[in-house]
Amino acid sequence: MNRREAVTHVAWILGGVFSAPTLQAMSRWEQIGSQASALRQSGSFLTETQHEIMARVAELIIPRTDTPGAIDAGVPDFMEVMLRDCYRKPAQDTFLAGVGELEQKGFLKLSPDQQTTTLKQVEAETQKTSDSSFWLITKELTLLGYYTSEVGVKASFDYQPIPGRFEAIKIKPGQKDFMYGNQA
Amino acid sequence: MNLNIKADKAQTYDAIVVGSGMTGGWAAKELTEKGLKVLVVERGYELKHVEDYKTAMKDPWEFEHRGKIPIVAAEEHYATMYFSAKEGSQYLYSNDKENPYIQKRPFNWIRAYHTGGKSLLWGKHTYRWNREDFLANAKQGLGVDWPIRYDDLIPWYNYVEKFVGISGQAEGLAVLPDSNFLPPMAMTAPEIHLKKSVAQKLNRPITIGRVAHLTKPQPWHTAVGRASCQFRNRCSRGCPFGAYFSSLAATIPAARQTNRLTIVHNAIVKEIILDDKAQKAKGVRVIDQNTLEVREFYAKLIFLNAGTIGSTSILMNSKSARFPNGLGNDSDQLGRNLMDHHLAIGARADIEGFEDDYFFGARPGSLYIPRFRNWGNDKRDYLRGFGYQGGASRADWSRGATETGFGADFKKKMTQPGPWKINLSGFGEVLPNPNNRFYLSEDQKDKWGLPQIVFDADFGENERAMRKDIMNDGAEMLEAAGFKNVVPYDNPVAHMGLGIHEMGTARMGKDPKTSVLNKFNQVHACKNVFVTDGSAMTSASNVNPSLTYMALTARAASYAVEQLKAGSL
Repeated sequence: MNRREAVTHVAWILGGVFSAPTLQAMSRWEQIGSQASALRQSGSFLTETQHEIMARVAELIIPRTDTPGAIDAGVPDFMEVMLRDCYRKPAQDTFLAGVGELEQKGFLKLSPDQQTTTLKQVEAETQKTSDSSFWLITKELTLLGYYTSEVGVKASFDYQPIPGRFEAIKIKPGQKDFMYGNQA
Repeated sequence: MNLNIKADKAQTYDAIVVGSGMTGGWAAKELTEKGLKVLVVERGYELKHVEDYKTAMKDPWEFEHRGKIPIVAAEEHYATMYFSAKEGSQYLYSNDKENPYIQKRPFNWIRAYHTGGKSLLWGKHTYRWNREDFLANAKQGLGVDWPIRYDDLIPWYNYVEKFVGISGQAEGLAVLPDSNFLPPMAMTAPEIHLKKSVAQKLNRPITIGRVAHLTKPQPWHTAVGRASCQFRNRCSRGCPFGAYFSSLAATIPAARQTNRLTIVHNAIVKEIILDDKAQKAKGVRVIDQNTLEVREFYAKLIFLNAGTIGSTSILMNSKSARFPNGLGNDSDQLGRNLMDHHLAIGARADIEGFEDDYFFGARPGSLYIPRFRNWGNDKRDYLRGFGYQGGASRADWSRGATETGFGADFKKKMTQPGPWKINLSGFGEVLPNPNNRFYLSEDQKDKWGLPQIVFDADFGENERAMRKDIMNDGAEMLEAAGFKNVVPYDNPVAHMGLGIHEMGTARMGKDPKTSVLNKFNQVHACKNVFVTDGSAMTSASNVNPSLTYMALTARAASYAVEQLKAGSL
């Protein structure tokens, strides 16, 4: 039984009905597994299940709408690279504990609405503390991964890699944020 | 023997300049333009202008970590981590693990061992010192008196400013003398509001930052291949337009145009070769950083521009019977009076309103609030003062990480400009103190067999007393503008080195007993060695120092060539 069948099967048991976008989303989760990206080298940071959980979480944070979503932008693999390369062990442990909790809750077997509710709970708990948390790291990485990706930048912003001038202006209705590239 | 003489001839120049950074570039330009055959000795690798700015044109998604620094790299670049070394700019910073140093007290020694040196890292804020800056030591009986005054530097400020190209607004302020300006950069609407409020309620002027960017290139800028600023604010990766001033973009090309410039790379100066009898330098002995081969170069004139710590440590390493404690160290001041600017302190706030105001372009600069403490009728219980840099901008998508929410609406919201926010960041003057110093380790060597540097310096009572005002005054100005959620901050990380303005370790002075250099940056007791980088500074002011280093260098080069021609060196 592949992942989609498994999820559908669970949904059927729960008496859920999937909307077209959710089915589409599931097709894309399928692709995650098959797209063994060059970035996911040996010594992956997450197990396959954890990776799937995080792909689902990222897609709930930045879903595909009329513009691409987190999975389209390659956020799940990016997250893993960043966790492996750019976070120290305490932060990695915090993150893994958070994924572990979602795993224990059978996150992937929940309906999309239940998943959203679960994440709202995680978010609410996070607001009680100012420390780095699973939710903060997840959001940081999802946003960074999406809003600096090629599809994310081009779909979201008025990208101006060479503005050529600097001037104060009045904003126009519907003005998207200008993006000049990460000044790194 | 004959072979040797031939070899010596081939390695003989009119002048040797050690270092190719901010002041080394200027020394090379001035000396070659005055007809000298110059060898620039650079300890680092060759970095070519434009073609080696390998990240300059990359889009955000082309960086594997999207601009963040991996942990492993961060550990190897520990000195720069508080700073702006990011994935796109890290290649310009030296690896601290390969170039270790010893911190008896915390010190961040930030280096850029390649052509252009730290002129590729600088913040580009460019200010003249004021009259009082040169008088303060004498008036307050601190350190030693400067052997020069503001008037001595005016012609040289004028001279270097035109070549550098400084964007700014003339204000006619005694505390912050005007430079020769290219058109100023614009302020955003909340910044204009702050400027008006602070002028009205607190009687403090705010100007747009004076920065070394070409807003309107002049013929002498385009003549060396420089072009207009494109407002990308990706300066830290190297500017492919040559729009901000660096030695790679400006002074080295000018020196090359004379056909009298030679640059040797990977050559670490081990010591200055001395003719003890004549009390003169003959040349330099260098170690190839890759092959460890030792070579010698000879010249009648030597300019040390290796950066403050670099130049001073070369003097320390140049020992002889006449100078057992290092060249020119009769005063025991070498390595002492280490100064920087203290920072990582200020105030920030949220700004309500101005939703209809926006800006186009990424401005590589900020506001500048000149010193107002201990100025005019203001008297504090500490000495000297501070200025601020900072500005207002609208939050971008990254605000979303700490905002509540996720999902489709949240995603859309992140594509709109966020609320305005503002930050004012203080830069305070550090006093000269002979116990703030660095010295050479007696037992720890680097991989080239040279002694490691030991840093033993920290801020003192005066700096700490000033910091309270930097925070409170910053908050007061933001409140005067009616901004919300004003947060004064003082980052405990603050210690020396973080300003990347290390200076003072071979100071200028009138008396050889208490200083290393004279009023023309000559080593008192070794007249053909000039030191014109930050080492020479007798005090620190609170403004960014590069412009003053450049003016001192041009002035010293002019004097050195006169002396050389008169046969006095």
